Amino acid sequence: MTGNSIKIRQGFDLQLDGGATSVVEPYATGRYYIRPSDFRWMTPQLLVREGDSLSVGTPLFADKRDPRVRICSPVDGTLTQVVRGDKRRILALVMDAKVTPPGSSVIEVPDNPSPQQIRDILLQYGLWPALRQRPYSVIADPDGTPDAIFVSCFDSAPLAPDFNVLLKGREAEWHEGIRVLRQICPDVPIHLGMLEDGDNALFEGTEGVDLHYFSGPHPAGNVGTQIDFIRPLDKGDVVWYIHPWQVAAFGRLILRHTLSYERCIALVGPAEPRPRYVTMTYGADLSPLLTPDPQGRAVRNISGNVLTGGTLGEFPSVGFYDSQLTRLFEGGEREFLGWLLPGLKKWSLSHTFVAWLAKRKKFSFNTSMQGGERALVMSDVYDEVFPMDFMPAELLKACIAKDVEQMEELGIYGVESEDFALCEVVCPSKIAWQQIVEEALHYLYEN
Amino acid sequence: MGFFQKWSDKLSGHFEKGRPLHVFKSLFDAVDTFLLTPAAVTHNGSHVRDAVDMKRIMITVMIALCPALLFGWWNVGYQHFLSVGATPGFWQAFGFGFLRWLPMAVVVYAVGLTIEVCFAQWRGHEVAEGFFVTGFLIPMIMPPAVPLWILAVATAFSVVFAKEVFGGTGYNFLNPAIVARVFVFFAYPSVISGDSVWIARPGTCDAVSGATPLAVDVAQIPSDWELFVGAIPGCVGETCKIAILIGAALLLFTKVADWRIMLSVLVGGAGMAAIFHAVGMTGVPVLTQLLMGGFLFGTVFMATDPVTAAHTRAGKYVYGLLVGIIAIMVRVLNKGYVEGMMLAILLMNVMAPLIDYCVIRIHIRKRKHRIARSKV
Repeated sequence: MTGNSIKIRQGFDLQLDGGATSVVEPYATGRYYIRPSDFRWMTPQLLVREGDSLSVGTPLFADKRDPRVRICSPVDGTLTQVVRGDKRRILALVMDAKVTPPGSSVIEVPDNPSPQQIRDILLQYGLWPALRQRPYSVIADPDGTPDAIFVSCFDSAPLAPDFNVLLKGREAEWHEGIRVLRQICPDVPIHLGMLEDGDNALFEGTEGVDLHYFSGPHPAGNVGTQIDFIRPLDKGDVVWYIHPWQVAAFGRLILRHTLSYERCIALVGPAEPRPRYVTMTYGADLSPLLTPDPQGRAVRNISGNVLTGGTLGEFPSVGFYDSQLTRLFEGGEREFLGWLLPGLKKWSLSHTFVAWLAKRKKFSFNTSMQGGERALVMSDVYDEVFPMDFMPAELLKACIAKDVEQMEELGIYGVESEDFALCEVVCPSKIAWQQIVEEALHYLYEN
Repeated sequence: MGFFQKWSDKLSGHFEKGRPLHVFKSLFDAVDTFLLTPAAVTHNGSHVRDAVDMKRIMITVMIALCPALLFGWWNVGYQHFLSVGATPGFWQAFGFGFLRWLPMAVVVYAVGLTIEVCFAQWRGHEVAEGFFVTGFLIPMIMPPAVPLWILAVATAFSVVFAKEVFGGTGYNFLNPAIVARVFVFFAYPSVISGDSVWIARPGTCDAVSGATPLAVDVAQIPSDWELFVGAIPGCVGETCKIAILIGAALLLFTKVADWRIMLSVLVGGAGMAAIFHAVGMTGVPVLTQLLMGGFLFGTVFMATDPVTAAHTRAGKYVYGLLVGIIAIMVRVLNKGYVEGMMLAILLMNVMAPLIDYCVIRIHIRKRKHRIARSKV
């Protein structure tokens, strides 16, 4: 172990049932959904029409801000439908594949490509959006050079997948991917954040990167936490970040000259009868996998984890940046005088329920709000779950007030809505922390 | 359970916007969520939530107040019978005190909740739980002999002018229970000062009683043990230090109240008392100072109010220390304002935002330095 070691003291791990076993199953389907809402604040410009035939890598839509940034078709087939919502906003692109599984296509990569050529290839085949930048968590600027690149090599969120499983058999692609990052951003430090007592053999063997070891509870694995401990952001700083399995996708494209949107995800959660890993192609319709509960209870399917993920509705596919699908029972059952009962089975970080005294470990989590929204009253519970060097409650107040000066002074550019997920979980006033922070960031982004 | 669920499902429609009973929506919601936990589920952000909500926090505070209240019932009766020269049985004293307290509680809750519900309906909010604790506290810190109409006026004043005009629970900067008491203290000084008010007087005979410890010479102060047990004249809630400490233990154990505030109030108070005692400005020793009057009750239940105390961690230490220091200063230096605790807390409520402001500025400066260092 040669990197520096960082201990995270604030935060906690939610003990949800239904973690994935190491079983990896392939999955294929004929139908694919891509949702432009995966890409933050992007206004998509359609490049294809309903009925057009597609092949792997055909650009589907481009970012209106920078048309070089595009998302491509993961399959050979047809664009069956463009589903639109209010104000003609595109909700999803529905595609039908010609062949199942969709396979891959070979692309041309010049020998010894220049940094600009590599950027162009990544942009052309829709892999560039995997690189995101802080502040704002939007897709990285194709012409930009960041102050640093961060890769969090573990996910500490509830039921998160083991990245070693996601990257199994793709070790060479990972190393090539890191080389790609070093080529497109020469002289930019690349920081890998690893779990201190995890299996880091793959990551420790990476060349030309800085290693950092984190220990402690969630959000130790959040890239935002790692950024703040390694290189806190100032106004004007820009850093990029990317998931390790997306680094490997870069590597595959350049090393193997193969365009494939195949990926591995964890299908997990208390409501999933058979938690496991599944390999599939990006956008695959997961409805056949989402078996209804035998007892008839309503189930919520979440692309991502229970802290930050988005609810899947009519078009269930795993989002562009997500590597897990969590299945959770819906809550909302009403309890007689619930505020007065001892609460033997209630999970709470506060000690106001007897379950804490009884040292109960297992809880059945569901989507119940567990209370009504109130003004911010308890101002210090948040500090205990927020490891970064910020004042969460003060920052939230500045965000609500849209007080730009105060937000900047309190370091708004160094945080992201997901960093406040645990504050939102423990909030006794049931305030929508993540939404408020995202709205504030959007306000800053637009002005 | 099933009965209430059905009842709630059946009635809730009548209170929606546009329906005739909509003006009572906040009241209906309050009763509904009092009986049954809310049915709401998460729709964005985190999908799972902590089971704790404001109702749970407020009920925890009320449970923590109960030992002091139960002792207070007995003590009010006991002091009354002592003053008329009788030795009451336990239940006799307890019953007398309860019957003294009951009308006070009824008046406070009736006045306060009516105002709260009206404001909630006007704003289109749910009724916040804050007043349940405020209403619980007010009868506990008033003299047992206070006329009910004064109590009603004080409650109305504090709810409207200390809380609702600023936006309701969570937005107030003064502790409403203390405002109610201070209102009586300044507007009707005769009912809250003097020798006899701390004993519930029988209707016909105006009994003479012992003076309260705060207004007398050192020699007349009850022993530390008597102050600790609390069978002495005083407010309903403040006399028994054992009961208050049980409540404090519960608040700290459940993490509802902040130990930083409690500790620093005690340190500030003890330090100031020690200084005064050392320079000879008062003959009252440190421990006695801390056990006297409402100091401990204020430390545990009033200074720790998360809304009106300093919000920042470092700020809480400063806030607590100053509450303790000022409480003892007022008590020793100004014989006219015998109960320094309420004035100290109220003053520091006003100062808390300033303390927070300073802490935030320091944080911002430190953050800038940290970023600058990390870039080198």
